[in-house]
Amino acid sequence: MSMPATAWWTPVALSADVPPRMVIPATLPVGPIAVWRSQSGQVTANHDRCPHRGMRLSHGFVRGEKLSCIYHGWSFGKEGGCTAIPAHPKVTPPASIHCGVMPTVEQDGLIWVASAQPDTAPPVFDQYQPLRMLNFCACIDRIKTVCDASSRDPATDTYVTATLAGFVTRLIVTPLNETETNVFILVSPDLSTDQKIAISRAAEVLRNLCERPSPEGQQT
Amino acid sequence: MSFPMQDEWYPVAMLSDLHRQGRDTLLLGQPIHAARDPNGIPIVTTQNGQHLVTIERFGHLWTSLGTPRKDLFSIPEADQPGRTLVDVGVVRVKCSPLRAVENFLDIAHFPFVHTDILGAEPHTEVENYQVEIREDSDEVWATKVKFFQPQAAKSAEGGITTDYMYRVPLPTCSVLYKTCPPRPAEWDVICLFVQPLTEELCDVWPWMALFDDETPLTDMIHFQQLIFLQDRSILENQLPRRLPLDPGMEVPTRADMTSVAYRRWLKRHNFTYGAQLVAK
Amino acid sequence: MKLYDYVLSPSCYKVRLLAALTDTTLTLRPVDFHPGKEHQSPELLTLNPAGSIPILEDGLLVLTESSAILTFIAAQNAPQWLGQDTPQMAAYVQQWLSFSHRLTTTLGSARLIEMLHGHGDLAALQHQGIAALRELEAALVQQHMKGATYLAADRMTIADIACFPYAALAPDGSVSLDPYPKIRLWMRAIRAQPGFIEMPGIHRLHELSNDPLETTNQ
Ligand SMILES: N[C@H](CCC(=O)N[C@@H](CS)C(=O)NCC(=O)O)C(=O)O
Ligand code: FES
Ligand SMILES: [Fe+2]
Repeated sequence: MSMPATAWWTPVALSADVPPRMVIPATLPVGPIAVWRSQSGQVTANHDRCPHRGMRLSHGFVRGEKLSCIYHGWSFGKEGGCTAIPAHPKVTPPASIHCGVMPTVEQDGLIWVASAQPDTAPPVFDQYQPLRMLNFCACIDRIKTVCDASSRDPATDTYVTATLAGFVTRLIVTPLNETETNVFILVSPDLSTDQKIAISRAAEVLRNLCERPSPEGQQT
Repeated sequence: MSFPMQDEWYPVAMLSDLHRQGRDTLLLGQPIHAARDPNGIPIVTTQNGQHLVTIERFGHLWTSLGTPRKDLFSIPEADQPGRTLVDVGVVRVKCSPLRAVENFLDIAHFPFVHTDILGAEPHTEVENYQVEIREDSDEVWATKVKFFQPQAAKSAEGGITTDYMYRVPLPTCSVLYKTCPPRPAEWDVICLFVQPLTEELCDVWPWMALFDDETPLTDMIHFQQLIFLQDRSILENQLPRRLPLDPGMEVPTRADMTSVAYRRWLKRHNFTYGAQLVAK
Repeated sequence: MKLYDYVLSPSCYKVRLLAALTDTTLTLRPVDFHPGKEHQSPELLTLNPAGSIPILEDGLLVLTESSAILTFIAAQNAPQWLGQDTPQMAAYVQQWLSFSHRLTTTLGSARLIEMLHGHGDLAALQHQGIAALRELEAALVQQHMKGATYLAADRMTIADIACFPYAALAPDGSVSLDPYPKIRLWMRAIRAQPGFIEMPGIHRLHELSNDPLETTNQ
């Protein structure tokens, strides 16, 4: 994995989608990562590749404060150091065995990860509550076009404003690759369950619109 | 373009399932067709109609794109009378053929991948064993391998410490010999024959020669498929997809001596189809 | 009850899983589906002209659809798994049993192509499978908003058993599960059930057992 010129925060999951003792796969611009929450509640992000035989750590399991690989059970602590090798239970793993850990911030119900420590904190969305994450098979410009590009935040370019089921929502749009984009839908915290369900359904329709072949000339 | 692995033998079909219409497949990225001629003789042809060398052995049809240096290996134990020969059937795996073989040579994953069958916590320790590259036969061998197993075979009752020997006679084939519960003096023979379709895709043909008069054939097939399909979900999720041959990319321990010898042997022979040479 | 069974069949696994979760005893009759194609043998075709497994035999009763088999086992041994508390719940269960068939014909077929040399239009099957997974995810999002983890109720029903295996094995057919956080939570809740059994490609939650190295060190 090579480092990008500037490190920046990527939202990877809703806090609620990573309960204690769970690991999930996610994608940063630099490659796949494993994001896990320990029993005590702390979130850690590692490269999704076990230093032993390259197994994806996002397939592993969390016991207590450690992430273990599903292949041979090697365990890693929150600093990334290997703490146990089950094939050699009496041996203390050398400090050189390490799985890269990335800066992680949990804020406003979202988990943000960066490939290296950015100069600033992730953007604040404290007036909002994350509703859900959806994967769009559409590029970011297409989504902005469908949501009306003029409404996006010109300063940071981190979100798009969209009206879904009659409610103003903010969409944090994160490109995974040229064709796929993760969209985090943020809504006002005082909506009823029925209103949230309506927004969730409207978001599915929005995805559908974004994934239709775009009119000629609008494709990036 | 020629490369060392094209002069080796590869399985391309199960003989019991090879018919006139045959099957279109790939070998080391090259399209080939395996079929039977009107006399029932197996033939393998390339796209430009060239006939490739063939051998029928161990229930499978073997071929080579080039000129093999030697006859296909033999497994003398498999010829012992009284063994049941089991065609386990093909399984396609999205992984490097070399990673598929390396996984087969590994016992340390048993407690986590084949839980309560081939291994279980807390019995995770891998004791020292012997590994060598036999110069006369030019094969990788691991002997005196031992591991505690809750259910070592369909014929095993309860947990036993199982003895293993591993053998790599070809870059994409491995033979394992393990404790045979009904006949302690003999070894069960379990093989992994890997057909490299491309560098990151293979057809795997497991095959077995077992002493077991009790277990129905279908149960033996299912047991082996169960085990191999547990491995498949690992193999499709290793990064990088290709086997790194440069030290530094992955960290072996004493438990991985067989894999270290296998990688060294691959490198020595320039068997690099499915390998990654430069750390990325 | 005799189940004509195959270790790698997600449809047979549904039956074994429900039996395990409801303490139902099954007599397994292994079928050499691959490579032997025994499901197309005269003996099995006599039982099920459709040539598919699972088949459940109980005396003179022969059932050949996994959803019907789940219904039969639940009705006999664990009626709460039928999810009939309210008309709405009963209807939801039926809706998901029907939906599960779509997972079988899309993701299941893609899996057979990618794994066991099956035939078909892989790209189209994957595309339809993704559409089905998105519907499953959307439904689970709604359930979460209402405070429920499972498809038809706040407890597991045969609806969950019917949909779980093919969804969980989507990667076998080269369909990623990464984009579906609520499906992931739902699968985890199912795998955490007491008495849960695994199948290849769906491993157990090792986090539920203790770390033996941790206990010896302490
Ligand atoms: N009858 C349906 C279908 C089950 C199904 O697709 N079974 C597969 C095995 S997993 C099968 O028998 N396929 C027959 C074939 O592909 O020829 C059910 O019980 O849910
Ligand atoms: S690959 Fe992770 S422990 Fe071996
Ligand atoms: Fe294995």
